[in-house]
Amino acid sequence: MEILKVENVTKEYSSNGVTVRALFDINLKFEQGEFTVIAGPSGSGKTTLLNIIGSLDKPTFGTVYFLGEDLSKKSKSELSDMRLNKIGFIFQAYNLIPVLTNLENVEFPLMLLGVSAKDRKERAMKVMEELNIADLANKRPNSVSGGQQQRVAVARAIVHSPILVLADEPTANLDSKSASSLLDLMEKMNAEKNITFIFSSHDKNVIDRAKRLILLKDGMVVQDEIK
Amino acid sequence: MFIAKLAWRNIWRNKRRSLIVIFSIVVGVSSSLINDSYGVGIMNQMVDNLIKSHDSNVQIHKSGFRENKKVGDVIPNSTQITSIVKQLENINGYTERVICFGLISSAANSSGVSIVGLKPELEKNVTDIHKKIVDGRYLSFGRNEIVISKKVAEKLEVEIGDKVVAVASDINGNVSSQMFRVVGIYRSGIAEYDNINVYVPLLDAQEMLNIGDNIHEIAISIPDYRKSSELKNHILAEFDKKNIDNQLYEVKTFQEIMPMMMAFLDVYHQWSYIIYLIIGIAVLFGVVNTMLMTVMERINEFGVIMSIGIRRGKLVRMIIYESLFMGLIGTITGFIVGLLIYYPMSIYGIDMSKFSESMASFGLPNLIYPELNINVVINTLLIIPLVTMIAGIFPAIKAIRLQPSEAVRFV
Repeated sequence: MEILKVENVTKEYSSNGVTVRALFDINLKFEQGEFTVIAGPSGSGKTTLLNIIGSLDKPTFGTVYFLGEDLSKKSKSELSDMRLNKIGFIFQAYNLIPVLTNLENVEFPLMLLGVSAKDRKERAMKVMEELNIADLANKRPNSVSGGQQQRVAVARAIVHSPILVLADEPTANLDSKSASSLLDLMEKMNAEKNITFIFSSHDKNVIDRAKRLILLKDGMVVQDEIK
Repeated sequence: MFIAKLAWRNIWRNKRRSLIVIFSIVVGVSSSLINDSYGVGIMNQMVDNLIKSHDSNVQIHKSGFRENKKVGDVIPNSTQITSIVKQLENINGYTERVICFGLISSAANSSGVSIVGLKPELEKNVTDIHKKIVDGRYLSFGRNEIVISKKVAEKLEVEIGDKVVAVASDINGNVSSQMFRVVGIYRSGIAEYDNINVYVPLLDAQEMLNIGDNIHEIAISIPDYRKSSELKNHILAEFDKKNIDNQLYEVKTFQEIMPMMMAFLDVYHQWSYIIYLIIGIAVLFGVVNTMLMTVMERINEFGVIMSIGIRRGKLVRMIIYESLFMGLIGTITGFIVGLLIYYPMSIYGIDMSKFSESMASFGLPNLIYPELNINVVINTLLIIPLVTMIAGIFPAIKAIRLQPSEAVRFV
């Protein structure tokens, strides 16, 4: 089932009268359950494409359809609700909220969804148990390792059962062992829960484990390969 | 609840900065509470002193008496009017007075005075001159007694037991005089009254002025001076019921008798709001500054939670909660600190005897007792939290204008 379609997307940034083209005429389709890596050198447009797919940014030209709906026609509130219900985000720098415990960080999307305190705690704990981080529940993010923080970030990204998880260079700040462990985890979630994962990365280990590789160069797709 | 919990924890991220803001709110709230309660205390004591020293809450005269003070302007049908006053409910009491201007002389000197004839047993329910006797005693049921102020006594060079002669024009315009013996010397603390009022038995005054059993003034006292107008309207309604011609009488409230005093009170109230405004603006800028710094430091975090899908309203609420919490902590602490300072002052008073001359000219005693009324409490407890809520709006708007994609990359 197709969940995402990127059609003729171009993104340009203007600064001091100079226009820089970050993406040019991108056309992509994504099926549910994909485990895709968008790779490419720095400045190739990976993060920009992820931001546009995740409705955090708008294309200058072109259209993005998510579950058949044109994102450009949605209001800011509708986009917020869509992200909250359907998409999970994982960031390179983990970006957990430092004043919340790890458990509360995982609960955060459920709280925004209005899930009752009891239910969200149960659901968050369940996900943390699946990811083997239940023992970190009552600790603050800054008291655990980078790899553990990223696991908490994964738990936060999937706790509300999204259709799509977007991960921007999720292993960039991790050592190889932690990175490998995190990839195992995401593969498991992909296989067991049929969650679609789209990564941006230039890490060879990540690229090797992807089922589909999209290679960007200078804002254009130069390779789209299903392994 | 979760948003509130998050906001609460956020304010303790940078404890020192939050505590500085909270401390400034504590100082603002406690000082405004003390300042306002001191002001209310002064105003209430001034009004109370004036009412209890002579003016009472409501006065009834014959029309035109207050303007001309003519001896012949006695209250028409005073017995009927007095009987109406006697029936009034919720009053402390009433008194009947005869008032005239005259001259009082001793062997040493003379002084122009306002001679007030009264019934001491009635007067005690209305004024408290009997409590302000500094030498001798108050009037009793005897005749030819006089109570004078310390100032008049010093001018006349008389002491308790000395004789003085009062001279005034009677109802027919003839000069009438009467000898009195000084039985008491008072000090009201109000320069205006101490300079002029002397008190004699009602019968002596009536006799001296040759006005029979007529009187010039009925003064009524009630527990709350703010209800004077209500009492006046009630009296006028009673007059109507009994077919008494209102035009023949002047029924005046304390507020009408002392318009300058009331204007002074209004000015004070306006001034107290200006003080609140100044404190509010100072707090506003302090909190806005802090909250803006907080927002700028957390741009990346806002980007993340916006990416996750927080609605802008919730983000605004979280930031406003943060500033509101600081305002509430500061206000409650400031209120408690203010109360701790206020409480002993309200019991022992603030000694202003260094300024006794100028205090007396405003009808104020040397000891000022601050008063905490409901307005002071409401103003103190509402204004600062409200201001801190407002202070959170601008930083909150700044936060929701962030682009999630840019904010999430902000370092």
